[in-house]
Amino acid sequence: MLQGVSFTLERGDTLALLGVNGAGKSTTLSIIAGVLAADGGQVRIDGRDIANGVSARRRVGWVPETVPLWPELTVTEALDACGRLHGLSAPARRVASTRELARLDLGAVARRRCGQLSLGQKRRVGLAQALLSAPDLLVLDEPGNGLDPLQAAQLRALIKALRPDHGIVVSSHLLGEVAAMCTRMVILNAGRVEHDGPLDAKPGALDAWFRAGTNGLAAA
Amino acid sequence: MNTLAIARIDWRRLAVRPFAWTLAGIVLAMMAWQFLLAVAAFMHVQPNVAGANAGLGFTDTVVAPYLLNFIQLCLVVAPLVTMQALAGDRRDQRLALLQACGASGTAIVLGKFAARLAFLWLLLAVAATMPLVLAPATHPDWGQFAAALVASALCVAALTAIGLACSAFTAQPALAATAALLIGEAFSLIDAGVRLTGGDGGWLGYLALHTHLAPAMRGLVRSEDLVYFVLITALALALAIRRVDAERERD
Repeated sequence: MLQGVSFTLERGDTLALLGVNGAGKSTTLSIIAGVLAADGGQVRIDGRDIANGVSARRRVGWVPETVPLWPELTVTEALDACGRLHGLSAPARRVASTRELARLDLGAVARRRCGQLSLGQKRRVGLAQALLSAPDLLVLDEPGNGLDPLQAAQLRALIKALRPDHGIVVSSHLLGEVAAMCTRMVILNAGRVEHDGPLDAKPGALDAWFRAGTNGLAAA
Repeated sequence: MNTLAIARIDWRRLAVRPFAWTLAGIVLAMMAWQFLLAVAAFMHVQPNVAGANAGLGFTDTVVAPYLLNFIQLCLVVAPLVTMQALAGDRRDQRLALLQACGASGTAIVLGKFAARLAFLWLLLAVAATMPLVLAPATHPDWGQFAAALVASALCVAALTAIGLACSAFTAQPALAATAALLIGEAFSLIDAGVRLTGGDGGWLGYLALHTHLAPAMRGLVRSEDLVYFVLITALALALAIRRVDAERERD
C-alpha cells in the first residue's frame, strides 16, 4: 500500500528507489510501468498520464526483477516481437534491434534461444527489450540481483552510459550499486517517502542516509 | 495490431516447442488408427447395406464417428494446448511485459486464442484429409461432410476458449488444464444420464455438446447449434479478458 508517494525525474537523472522488503518499491515501479493501476494519483510523462493512452505508456521501458523472456524465441526474434508490440514498423524494428544488440553486446548470442542464456545475458536482453522503442523513462527493478561481480560492474557501466538519453529509476538493495550509478535517491518506508534528495557519492554517507531513512522500520 | 503481434509470438512459440509437435503426432496417429478401424468396419458391413434403400453411407459410418472421436480427443488436447497460455505467462511475468508494452486484455486474450485455435484447426484439417483421400472411391456426402466439419471446428473453438478462460484464473498451468478438462468433460457428459434413462434432457440436454454436434454429424446445420458454440466461446473469452484486465487492478 502506497501513501502519498510523489517525485519527479528529469532526463539525465538516475533515481535510486530504496527501502526494505515490503516498503513498496516494486509496487511503485509497477505503477510507473503501467503494469499495475493506482487507486489514486497519476504517473505523468511530459504531462501526459500513462493511464490515458498507450502512446504514453510506451515511453516507459520496464525490466522487472524476473526478466520476462520468451524462452522458445531467439534473442533476435524476441526483440522483433517486442518491436511489434511497441507498434514499430519492420524497418524501424530492424534498426532498433541492430542498435540494441550492439549497445548491449548481444551480437554473439543473437541467434540463441532466450531460455539458453545465462542470467547476465537474460538481464541484458530484458534491457534491450525495454530500450527498443527508445523510451524516455527506464524502470529497472533490482537489476543487479543474481549477477556475479563482473556482470554487475558491466551492468552499472551500461546504466551510467544510458543516463544522458533517459530518465532512469532503479530499485536496489545493494547500496554500493546505488552509489556507483545513481544521482538521486528516494527512500520508501511502509509505502511512504521517507527521504527524497540528491545522492552523496560517498557510500558511507549513503549508508547513513539509509539507516536514518528506515530507522523506524528497523527498530520495529 | 497487438492482437496479431501476440498471435504471431504464440504461434512461433508453439511451432518451436517439442511439446506441441509431440501432441500433434500423438493426436494424428490416434486419428489414423481410428480411421483405419472405421474403414475396416465399413468394408465389413458394406455388402449388407449396399442394397438397402436407407443404407448408411461412408459419411455416416466413417466420417461422422471419426470427427466425433476427434472432438473427444480435443477434450484432452485443448486444455493441454491452452494451459500455459495465460497461467505460464503470468507466472513468468510475460503477461506484465505485454501489458507494459501497451497491450490490452482483449488483445492479449484474442491473440493467444487465435494462435492456439489455428494450431487445433490445423490438426482438424490434417485429420479431415484422411477421409478425403478415399473420396474418389467412396463418394462422400459433401454437404454432410461440410456440416460435420463446421460443427467440429466451432466445438474446438469453444473448448479452446474454455481452456484459455481456465488459464486466465490461475498461475498454475496444471491446475488450468485440470479445470478445463473437467469443464469440457462436464459439457460432454452432462446429459448422458438423462439420455441413458430415455428422457429428453431438457435444459441439461441443451447444455450438452452432443446435443449440438449430433445434428451436424447427420448433415443438419441448425442456427441454434451455431449460436450455442459461439455463445460458449464468447462467454469464455469475455471471462478471460475480464480476468486479465483485472490483473492491473490487483496488488
